[in-house]
Amino acid sequence: MEGFDVVKSQYIKEMIAKGMREDGRGMFDFRKIVITPGVIKHAEGSAQVDLGATRVLAGVKLQVEEPMKDTPNDGNMMVSAELLPLAHAEFESGPPSPESIELARVVDRGIRAAECVDMPGLFIEEGKVWSVFIDLYVLNYNGNLFDASTIAAMSALATARMPKFEDGKAIYEERTKPLSLKNHIVSTTFGKVEGALLLDTNIHEENAATARLTIANDGKLIRAMQKGLGGSLSQAEIESLVDVSLSKYAEVKSSIDNLMQ
Amino acid sequence: MASKADRPQLIIGGKRLDGRMPNELRPIRIESSILKNADGSAYLEWGNNRVLAAVYGPKEALPKHMADPAKAIIKCKYAMAPFSSMGEHGRSGPNRRAIEISKVTKEAFENVVLLNDFPGSEIDIFIEILQSDGGTRAAGITAAAVALASAGIHMRDLIYAVSVGKVGEELILDLNMLEDNYSDCDMPMAISPRNGNLVLLQMDGNLTKEQMSRAIEMASEAGKTITRIQKEALQDVYKKAGARSQNGNGV
Amino acid sequence: MKEIVMPGDLLFDKPVRQENTFVENGKTYATVMGLFEREKGAVVSLEGAWSPRIGDIVVGIVTGSKNSVYEIELSFFGRAILIGSKYDRQTYKIGDVVESEVKDIENRKTLILWRPRVLYGGTILEVKPTKIPRIIGKNDTMVQQISALTKTTIVVGNNGIIWLKGGNIGLATTAIRTIEDEAHTSGLTERIKQMLETNATK
Repeated sequence: MEGFDVVKSQYIKEMIAKGMREDGRGMFDFRKIVITPGVIKHAEGSAQVDLGATRVLAGVKLQVEEPMKDTPNDGNMMVSAELLPLAHAEFESGPPSPESIELARVVDRGIRAAECVDMPGLFIEEGKVWSVFIDLYVLNYNGNLFDASTIAAMSALATARMPKFEDGKAIYEERTKPLSLKNHIVSTTFGKVEGALLLDTNIHEENAATARLTIANDGKLIRAMQKGLGGSLSQAEIESLVDVSLSKYAEVKSSIDNLMQ
Repeated sequence: MASKADRPQLIIGGKRLDGRMPNELRPIRIESSILKNADGSAYLEWGNNRVLAAVYGPKEALPKHMADPAKAIIKCKYAMAPFSSMGEHGRSGPNRRAIEISKVTKEAFENVVLLNDFPGSEIDIFIEILQSDGGTRAAGITAAAVALASAGIHMRDLIYAVSVGKVGEELILDLNMLEDNYSDCDMPMAISPRNGNLVLLQMDGNLTKEQMSRAIEMASEAGKTITRIQKEALQDVYKKAGARSQNGNGV
Repeated sequence: MKEIVMPGDLLFDKPVRQENTFVENGKTYATVMGLFEREKGAVVSLEGAWSPRIGDIVVGIVTGSKNSVYEIELSFFGRAILIGSKYDRQTYKIGDVVESEVKDIENRKTLILWRPRVLYGGTILEVKPTKIPRIIGKNDTMVQQISALTKTTIVVGNNGIIWLKGGNIGLATTAIRTIEDEAHTSGLTERIKQMLETNATK
């Protein structure tokens, strides 16, 4: 950590000890969520999400491919994430970092476990299915990429249109039918700072945090979890965060539902 | 996850296909200090899993700009051998899954290793899955904890790991590969037994909050057995050396 | 009564600040796998890296020099440096084996050495640093016994490097390896003596 970060972290910890957050939010408040759908016309679905000053762009592309051997009647889904060097001074070019791989896999697990994408609905004909590629582009990093990325991915999926399939190939110019979604997932990521638990940490809070827990739920069930960083969490802490996570479902989902109207 | 439609019946008459009860571990055997060159090592058999873990360090951190002048850094590499799975030859080199497991494993150990005792140094943890049958990250962490202790690394605790899954509405402990393929949930956990805190937690599938709490409790209960096996493995090295002595009476 | 303890094992229900222990919420736990004697309170590590202390004797190899400051390799994660004295005409070549003493420790990772002595010829042996006290023995009895019965000159470094020259180095090495393996057992001095006498007369 750079010198400035150390000073900032110390300040954050002093604030938390007094029960306050740097930007005046409550412990379990999200920053402002702004979703801009359809920013990339070439993509089948896209959305840019601003979560405070964190900005993630998600693009969805569909492509005709062979099904996986163990699921011949289902489509495929693949999530990738890029921590672009333009998003933060410490992000570097090169092969995918463990951080970007973890981000992509945690977002993937939530969407997959909640069976959001109608995988059998992506079947075209024997040996041919649609593959759904979800690419997450981090454009500005200011903390909590997990939740910003899940919102971006779900928004892009919710607004995606499927290309027409004709004469054995995809017609990308003709896209009318919406991509079928069967479920919805909301991700909530918490940081532990000085023993306190905070939802949606900004970059300074993230630098001060010792542990992180992402909980993705579909409004009823827990669908994915991932603990990160070198700290630990007790069973009681995890249970209390599951309650908070479930209570946040309606708020975040409604911001995506509004896109459809 | 394979399709649920063709899922075989995994629990028959209250017992699992390999004869285990829902809360029963597979047999676990650990041997400590089995590699000569490494500063610490362990070989673990957990059901059909075969795992080698080795620790080098604390040593000079390389490259030098990676070193933290205030504390040790941990590097962790989890890898599956290309011959470790039933069926096809695995790809060599780290895939995305292995990179993620390496990362969360490293973070689990950062919680217990006393990093400030070795400033500027590096501690390497290598986990090689030689044969896999479900639950390899838990097996790897359990073996690596023994390897770290046998390397004399300063730690707050000897951690262990185990996974809990769900078949229908029934929670089952320590999934094998078949169960993992068809289960409704997989929740690997690593726990620090001294205070019961979770140092690794992943989950995908579906669980109610009550099931999640019960899963943590099942893992903690199983931990008593796993911890005992880890400690016995570490002590056995000295008991054997003692027995070799003509008139050695151990400690 | 010594018992083997493991990292995280509860030692005392009260705070007892001792080597290889830590205190949390008023209780004392072990930080290493080691031998624990309740009366003494400390845990003696069975394995692991050398924890340098001022006054430790070390054996190392000169790996670099610049303006009369020498880098010494000690198989330690940090650095060790030996500062040449202007009153001391002695210079050291890269590759020289040097015995010296830890004069100061900076930030746990930089060791300042002094009182150097070049050890010419011979060979070196790396052993686990935790076994060094047993190899030296009480009042040097163990190392003197090996030296006397093998006619080998032995310099033992607390850092786990041992220098040997002359006599029956092979037998001395076997004796040292046996001690390393059985350091935690009792009656060791007598067993090593028997082993050396039996083999020396062959």
